[in-house]
Amino acid sequence: MKNFSYVRATSVKEAVQQASTDNNAMFIAGGTNLVDRMKVFLDEPSQLIDITRLEMTRIEPTGEGLRLGALVSNTAVADHPEVRRSYPMLTRAILLGASQQIRNVATVGGNLLQRTRCPYYYDTAFACNKRELDTGCAALTGINRIHALLGASDQCVAVHPSDMCVPLAALDAIVEVESSKGKRQIPFTDFHRLPGDAPQRDTTLEPGELITAVILPPAPFAKSSVYLKLRDRDSYAFALVSVAAAVELADNRIKTARLAMGGMAHKPWRFTEAESFLVGKAANTETFQQAAELALQGAKPLEYNGFKVELAKRAIRRALTVSAKGGGIV
Amino acid sequence: MNKVMGTAVSRKDGQAKVTGTAIYSADHEIAGLVHGYVVTSTIANGRIKTIDTREAEQASGIIAIFTHKNAPQVFKPSNDFMKSKIYEARLPLSDDRVHYAGQIIGLVIADTFERARQGAHLVKVEYDAQKPIVEAKNAVFKEAPPQMGEELKFAKGDVVTGIASAAMKIEATYTTSTELHAPMEPHATIAQWQGTDSLTIYEPSQWLALSQRTYADLFGLPSEKVRIVIPFLGGAFGSKAFPWPHAILTVAAARQIKRPLKVVMSRRQMTANTGHRSETEQTIRLAATTDGMLSAIAHEAKSITSPVDVFTEPCTAVTPALYTSPNLLLTQELAVMNVGTPTFMRAPGENPGMWALESAMDELAWAMKLDPVALRLKNESKEHQRKGLPFSAKHFAECLKVGAERFGWKDRPQLRSLTREGKLVGWGMAASTYPGLRGTTSAKVRLLPDGTVHVLTSGNDMGTGSYTVVAIAAADALGISVEKVRVEMGDSLLPDGGLAGGSQMTASLVPTVMKACQDILKTANCTTATEACAALQRSGRAAIEASASSAPGDETKKWAFQSWGAHFCEVTVDEEIGRLRVTRWVSVMDVGRIINTKAAASQVRGGVIMGIGHALMEECHFDPNNGYPVVYDLATYHIPAHADTPRIDVTFVGEPDLNFNPAGVRGVGEIGITGVSAAIANAVYHATGKRFRSLPLTPDKLIA
Ligand SMILES: Cc1cc2nc3c(=O)[nH]c(=O)nc-3n(C[C@H](O)[C@H](O)[C@H](O)COP(=O)(O)OP(=O)(O)OC[C@H]3O[C@@H](n4cnc5c(N)ncnc54)[C@H](O)[C@@H]3O)c2cc1C
Repeated sequence: MKNFSYVRATSVKEAVQQASTDNNAMFIAGGTNLVDRMKVFLDEPSQLIDITRLEMTRIEPTGEGLRLGALVSNTAVADHPEVRRSYPMLTRAILLGASQQIRNVATVGGNLLQRTRCPYYYDTAFACNKRELDTGCAALTGINRIHALLGASDQCVAVHPSDMCVPLAALDAIVEVESSKGKRQIPFTDFHRLPGDAPQRDTTLEPGELITAVILPPAPFAKSSVYLKLRDRDSYAFALVSVAAAVELADNRIKTARLAMGGMAHKPWRFTEAESFLVGKAANTETFQQAAELALQGAKPLEYNGFKVELAKRAIRRALTVSAKGGGIV
Repeated sequence: MNKVMGTAVSRKDGQAKVTGTAIYSADHEIAGLVHGYVVTSTIANGRIKTIDTREAEQASGIIAIFTHKNAPQVFKPSNDFMKSKIYEARLPLSDDRVHYAGQIIGLVIADTFERARQGAHLVKVEYDAQKPIVEAKNAVFKEAPPQMGEELKFAKGDVVTGIASAAMKIEATYTTSTELHAPMEPHATIAQWQGTDSLTIYEPSQWLALSQRTYADLFGLPSEKVRIVIPFLGGAFGSKAFPWPHAILTVAAARQIKRPLKVVMSRRQMTANTGHRSETEQTIRLAATTDGMLSAIAHEAKSITSPVDVFTEPCTAVTPALYTSPNLLLTQELAVMNVGTPTFMRAPGENPGMWALESAMDELAWAMKLDPVALRLKNESKEHQRKGLPFSAKHFAECLKVGAERFGWKDRPQLRSLTREGKLVGWGMAASTYPGLRGTTSAKVRLLPDGTVHVLTSGNDMGTGSYTVVAIAAADALGISVEKVRVEMGDSLLPDGGLAGGSQMTASLVPTVMKACQDILKTANCTTATEACAALQRSGRAAIEASASSAPGDETKKWAFQSWGAHFCEVTVDEEIGRLRVTRWVSVMDVGRIINTKAAASQVRGGVIMGIGHALMEECHFDPNNGYPVVYDLATYHIPAHADTPRIDVTFVGEPDLNFNPAGVRGVGEIGITGVSAAIANAVYHATGKRFRSLPLTPDKLIA
């Protein structure tokens, strides 16, 4: 770990000002991901800007929807009565991630910016373009069991590890950011990016930009939404595949459908085509199976992750089925 | 006086542990301590072409850097198991060869841990790399050599004719994955030299006296000049019995720099160079008569070792103990791959061996439409077929019967017929067994005028509950309360307490402590501790002391000692999404006398939980290209969490095994894990009708 300086920002303005003067500065929130990364030489910031004292700690209703301050803990989001009532898949996704202790300190902003758990990224013994551009991708020919099926490139086959981000993608959440140049809003599905030939970049965030909040737009269709996470152990493990699904029925037909997956790609993957397909159809296994087939059409399995194609289809089918029946725990 | 032996006693060290005052090896605060961080190889096979330490040397706080070019001197130990033993025969930094990824190729020492780690990161290495062999399919298997002085192969009768003439036969191949010990306490060593001829080492050790002799051998010192201190050990499972390369290097470097030195291994490093259980492939052939008597058992096993030491996972050792057959064949093959050195891991051999054998027994039972409990009862061994000796105090049948009763086994429904909340439900069972082992130990007991008793022995408590077991033994022998007994362990200055391994600490130490306590009463010429104490007070002396030793004797020529058990479990399988959960567990164990019912049940539960890990999730992959383990910490190497673990019902049956030792104890540390994975896979078969023969049973396999 290289020496770094530490400053505690007292206002958003001060934080973004400080960040604008130093390209190698990094914000630190809960630190549950960043500190681990620093210990294994993945990040070597010159300075840490501690943002934990900033006024971004509230969950409040606004004209645009429910606004989650960037510093709200993952636990507080999951437990919030309005989130539980209106966005049950979000509560469920958070509670199925990490551990209670980690969720208590992990923040909304930090969760969005946690980096991949690709083992080849995590150890400098392996070649990794994400860690160091143009050094190669050891995962391509390695044990790529947890890796991407969709949207990968020959530079990077890593997946985004977040659970929380999967329902956020399905809900068309909005990411609110601020820098010394001003404020802007980024639609959630544009926030994370595909690796292409710049796998070092996970998001479309510009240097020095601070996440200030995530906004959940009203989503009447999400009341019976579900989150299904499949993994190698029953708790405290990242997803092999996960599904955020919401099905709203009217007269026994599907009125609205939302479908997103984790563990599939470099970003939380939203299946808009499958969603459109579902609208107007009868909510039955056959329909859901067809949606799953459609969703996985473009999947490009690697040597060890082929099983995830079938697992993903089954997970989609199950999640849609449970949501259509009124939701609950899967 | 109520007998304390055989009751439920809370651990004496419990409060220290939960309040953080228990001192583990890396916790010792020593004046002037400096820190080391090892540099490890990023290739698995080849040579170091250049190793450039210049940038590291310039970094702040760096004190010294060792590589193969300036390796500190160490003598080759005799490496005879009972005298001195290191895990890896090749000494650290002995040349420029790289045999496996993660091999230690340097040590950077600095004034702080962080600076040492940064320095290690700055060491630049160029290699002449060769293609490593890290996949068993590319390895060359040969007959395994004898291990610890014993042949691994064994034949009785003729399996070929035994199989040919049988009414029913099955043959199947079972595999297990490479597994890591993953103890809570990482490997860590502090070495403190007093001059150049006297040495104190703080390091987790399952056998202090052997560690002491080994370090004496390595550094050319008399044993009494080496002191090993380890009052608490945070789990070992076989990985902390002898010095690993990092520990040898730490002690050697500390002598060179003339400062106390601490090296703590990271989880990442521990995946590669502090041991593992080899992957295994086992083929079992069983043949039976029409009434279900085994007419042949062939058990053929393969495992992997490293290029720098020889260790065979002795999967077949358990077979001649468990079931009788006139025709029996055991073979073990071994291949060298470019991986770290495998070693003993909780029930070495027995655990994977029972996975294969007890799965095969289930397959045979289904093939013959026999109840698997009945099949086992029919074929129960009368003697240990390899030793040719009868078993002492064997109650295997009772384990099966009591287990079946407690579980409700007789109501077992048809194959693939039971469902709950949309999931398939299955019941499975398997036998459990582990040999009764015992070693030589010594202890000193001291009675003080205030009525307290001290027990002193170097044997240690790996977290298993030995402090409490020793206290119970003394309290019982002297008729006093456990609170009055103070136990000191984990220091090689104390009398040799033997090995905490092979489930033998209790069987080895309890008889010794009992004997020393009896000697106290004899010395005082009294029948109770109260009388002895009164006599002591009158005498004005400071204490009454007695030392005792005990060791196995001729009984091992008359009997075979073995512990027995049975596991029964229920699983649910959500077939569509490949989700398997273990929902109910009953274990019944016959392990001789129980000293502490609480700790003993806890050991069995720990074994079952580790067995669930083995069955469901534990797996260390090696990268096919550079050979480095792809798992790098406890978030990627999965061991069971609470959510994976059902309530575990443990019952003990049987009687004290007084042929074995005067306490009648056989030990309980390892038996719990044996048979667990087979019971689970057998339950999955009952639930789904699908037989799984490759562990772990991860979702990819379940949906295949
Ligand atoms: C053992 C373990 C298991 C885990 N399991 C799961 C799991 O199953 N599912 C899951 O989803 N997650 C899991 N996590 C990840 C966890 O959710 C993240 O570590 C956490 O959400 C990160 O939040 P943080 O506030 O601690 O971020 P930090 O570590 O403080 O920061 C992470 C990154 O975000 C940046 N950052 C933080 N806040 C802002 C902001 N407001 N604006 C701009 N940049 C910012 C930092 O610079 C850094 O790059 C696990 C973590 C651990 C350690």
